[in-house]
Amino acid sequence: MTYDIVIVGAGGGGMYAALEAIRRNPALKIAVISKVYPTRSHTSAAQGGVNAALANKHKDDTIDLHIFDTIKGSDYLGDQDSITYLCEQAPILIRELENLGAPFSRLEDGSIAQRPFGGASRHRCCYCADKTGHTVLQTLFEQCMRYGIQFFNEYYLLSIEENDGKCQGVIALNLRDSKIHKFEANSVILATGGYAKMYWHKSSNAAGLTGDGGAAALRAGIPLKDMEFVQFHPTGLRKSGLLVTEGARGEGGYLINNKGERFMSKYAPEKMELGPRDLVSRSIEIEIREGLGFESTAGQFIKLDLTHLGAELIMQRLPQIRELCIYFEGVDPILEPIPVRPTAHYSMGGIDVNTSCETNIEGIYAVGEGACVSVHGANRLGGNSLLDILVFGKRAGMEVVERASKSGQPKISDSQVEDQQKYIDGLFGKTHHERYDVIREELGTTLGENAGIYRTKDALTKGVADVYELRERFKKVKVADHSRLFNTNLMQVMELGSMLDLALCVAKGALAREESRGSHSRIDFPTRDDKNWHKHSIFKMTAEGDIAVSDKPVTMGKHELQERTY
Amino acid sequence: MEDRKQITFNVLCFNPEVDEKAYFKSYDVVLEKGITVLRALNYIKDHVDQTLTHRFFCQAGICGSCAIRINGVSKLACTTQVWDELETCKTKDQIIVEPLNNFKVIRDLVVDIDPMIAKLKKYKSWVVPMVKDEDLGKKECDVKPEEFEPINAATDCILCASCYSECTITEADRHYISPLVILRAYRMNMDTRDTAGEERTRLLQEDHGIWDCTHCYRCVEACVKNIPIMEAIQGVRHETFERGMTNTAGARHAKIFLDDVKGGGRLKEATLPLRTLGPIGMIGMIPFALKMGAKGRVPPIFPHKVSTHREVKTLVEQVEKESKKKD
Repeated sequence: MTYDIVIVGAGGGGMYAALEAIRRNPALKIAVISKVYPTRSHTSAAQGGVNAALANKHKDDTIDLHIFDTIKGSDYLGDQDSITYLCEQAPILIRELENLGAPFSRLEDGSIAQRPFGGASRHRCCYCADKTGHTVLQTLFEQCMRYGIQFFNEYYLLSIEENDGKCQGVIALNLRDSKIHKFEANSVILATGGYAKMYWHKSSNAAGLTGDGGAAALRAGIPLKDMEFVQFHPTGLRKSGLLVTEGARGEGGYLINNKGERFMSKYAPEKMELGPRDLVSRSIEIEIREGLGFESTAGQFIKLDLTHLGAELIMQRLPQIRELCIYFEGVDPILEPIPVRPTAHYSMGGIDVNTSCETNIEGIYAVGEGACVSVHGANRLGGNSLLDILVFGKRAGMEVVERASKSGQPKISDSQVEDQQKYIDGLFGKTHHERYDVIREELGTTLGENAGIYRTKDALTKGVADVYELRERFKKVKVADHSRLFNTNLMQVMELGSMLDLALCVAKGALAREESRGSHSRIDFPTRDDKNWHKHSIFKMTAEGDIAVSDKPVTMGKHELQERTY
Repeated sequence: MEDRKQITFNVLCFNPEVDEKAYFKSYDVVLEKGITVLRALNYIKDHVDQTLTHRFFCQAGICGSCAIRINGVSKLACTTQVWDELETCKTKDQIIVEPLNNFKVIRDLVVDIDPMIAKLKKYKSWVVPMVKDEDLGKKECDVKPEEFEPINAATDCILCASCYSECTITEADRHYISPLVILRAYRMNMDTRDTAGEERTRLLQEDHGIWDCTHCYRCVEACVKNIPIMEAIQGVRHETFERGMTNTAGARHAKIFLDDVKGGGRLKEATLPLRTLGPIGMIGMIPFALKMGAKGRVPPIFPHKVSTHREVKTLVEQVEKESKKKD
C-alpha cells in the first residue's frame, strides 16, 4: 500500500505527529504502525509531569529560565537551538493538549497547576495527579480516533527503505499472521521509543523498549547520536526495576547490606542515604560487587528499610510506594525491608536528527525517546521527556505535511520485501541452538556490570568484547515457536537483535568518551573535559555490520560553558 | 506459608492453526514468594515452553496489556501476586489461567480487542473541544479544580478490558456498549470543555446502549483501578432525562419503576413489559409470557399496595427533593 505519511510508533510522539498532519491536511493518507496498541505505549508510564513556563504558579518564570535550566541539566551537551525551540513551544503545546481534553490538574483560579521538579529553578511542571503520561497518551489516542487516523496495531518494523538518499517507506511484519507488508511513502516518522531495556532486569522500561527504530535506522544508513548516555535511578525494585522515589529515603529510609549495616556511612558519612543519585547508585553497585548484597533468583540486591518509620508515616506519606511494593515485590514496607537496586530508565541518545526532526535521508524523520535532537544532552531533566515527544511530534507532523505536496511516487521493490522474508526465514534455521533468554540475560548483566552507572576503560573494553561475542552467538539463536500466529517468540528474538546492535553503540561510545559528563561517569576520567569532549558522539553501521564511532560539534547559543553545580 | 514451592499453572491454550479447540496445558514450576503471575508466565515462556503466547508491556500496571483471567477473575497479570492467588485455588497450588472472556481468542491468552476499540469510536469517546480549531493552543480553558471531580476516577481507566470480560450483558449481546465505553462516554460528557454531550447521549440511549445494563456490578468488582463504573452508568442515564430523551424502552422502564413504587410501594410486574415496550413491542414477548404462564409464574395484574406505601412515597419524594437541590 502507498501512503502520504507512515508513522512508526503510536506513543505520544507518533500520535502527536499523526494528529498534527491530519489536522493540517485532512486529505492526507496516513498510516500509523505500532508493535503494541497505541494506549499500551510507554508514554503511559511517565508519572510526574511535563514542563512549560506557563508562569501560573511562579509568576516570574520565563521561557529563558526553562532554556537555561535545560542546557545546564544537559551538562552543556544539548543543542541550544533545539532547546530554545523546545522551551518556546512548551506553553503552546500544553495549552493545545489541554484544549483537546487532557485533564491537567488545576489551581484554584482555574489555570493549570504546576509543581517543583528536579533541576528546575521554578515551579514549572504541569501534571495530571500522578498519571500525567497516561492521560496525555489517552487524550492523543482519543483525538486520533476522532480524526479517523488509521492504525496498524501489532506490526513489527523490519526495515526502513530508501533509494538514492530518498525515503521510500518501511517494511513491517504483521504479528497476527506473520505476513510481511510494505508501506510505501515519501515521508516516514520514526517514533519508536527508547533503548534502555537492553539492561534487561536492571531497567525500569517496558518490555518493548528495545530500540527497534534505532537498529533499523542503522541498517538503513542513518546514524545514531550520544548513545552512551543512559540515565540510572538508584532505587529500582529488585524484580521489576520499577522506581521507588527518592521520597522514601527523604522520609528517613535506610539502605542495608547483608551484614545489616547502613553501608552509606562508608561512602557519604554525613549525607548518608540522601547523597546525590549517582553516588548512591555507585555505592549500591560496589556493595553488591563485593558480595555484600542479598541473593535471589531475580538477581542480587540490597534492602531499603522503612520499617522503623512506622505504619502511620508510611501510610500517610508513602502510600503509592507501599502499594507498588505489595503489588510487584509482594513485600509490605511496613513489615519488611524493600529489595532494591539501581535501574536504567531513560535513553538520552537515539536517531540523529536536527531541530526539524530530519535524519540524513530525505523524508525520514525521528522523534521522541528513540530520537536524539538533542535537547537532553548528557542528562535529561524530569518533566522534559513528555515535553520532547509533544513538541517534536508536532514539529515532525508539520514537516511531513509540507513535504507531502512536493514529492514523487515512492517505490519498494518485491526484492526488498523478499530480503526481509529471507531474514525472517533465516531466524528459523534448523541448526540454531542458542537461547534468546540466555543471551538477553547476559547482555543485561554485562551492560549493568561494564557499561552501567560507573564506567572504566577495563570494564568497558570487556563490555564491548562481550557484546561482540553475544552478537556472534545471536547468529545461531533458536526460534522454537514455528507458528505463524502471533509469534511472540519470533518478535522477542528480533527485539534482541535490535538491543545487541544498540548495545554495541552504548558500550563503544562509553569506551571512547574519556570524561565524565551528565549520566556518563568514568572512574578513570572523573571530570568533564570540554576541551576534548564537548561534542556529540555519532554511530554508523559499516557494510560489515560493525559500529563506527565519530563525532560532531554541539550547537551553542547565548549560554557559554559553565561548571554544573546545584 | 513457605517462601518457595512448586506451583502448577493450568493455562488454557489454543492455536487455531493446529488446535480444534482450546485445552489446558499444565506447567509445574518452582517459584518464590513475591513473584507476580506475569513473571511466572514469562518464566514459563523463557524456560519451559516458547510457544506460550501472552501479551505484556509496561509490567507496572499502567499499560493494560496483560489482562487475563486468573482463577476465574479478569485482572492484570503484572499486578497479581502468585502467593495471593494460592489462597483462591480450587485445587491446592494449582492456578488456572485463561484468556479474557467476551473476545475472540487469537492465540492462547491473546484476544482480539478490536471490537472494543470499534465501540469507543462508535460512541465518540473523545472530547469535541469548545475551543475552535484555529484557536487551539492560544489560551487555557478556565476549569476550577472541583469541575474535574466527576471525571478524576474515570480518567484512571487504562482500557485493560477486565470489565469488558466480566460483563454479563456483553456475554449475552456482543453489540452491547460495554462498561468501559459507558465510563469513557460519561468522562467526556462530564468534561466542561466538551461540546458533544447531546450527540453522544443520543447514541448512548439507543439499542445495545446504557439501558441494557442490569446492575450486576461485576464490572465494578473487576476494575483494576477501582473505578466506580456504576456511578458512570447511572450518571449517563440521569443525563438522558435531563436532556429529555425519555422515549426509549429503558427510560420508560425506569420511570415506570419510580411511578409504581411511588404509587403502591410495589412493582406492577404483569403490565411492566406492555408499559415499557408498547403494544407492538409486546408481540415479541408473547411466547415468553405463555411459557411463564405454563410454569405458573404470572404475577398478579393488580398487586396489592404494600402496607407502608405512604412511607415509601414520602421516602421517594424526599430523595427527589435532595437530588434537585444537588443539581
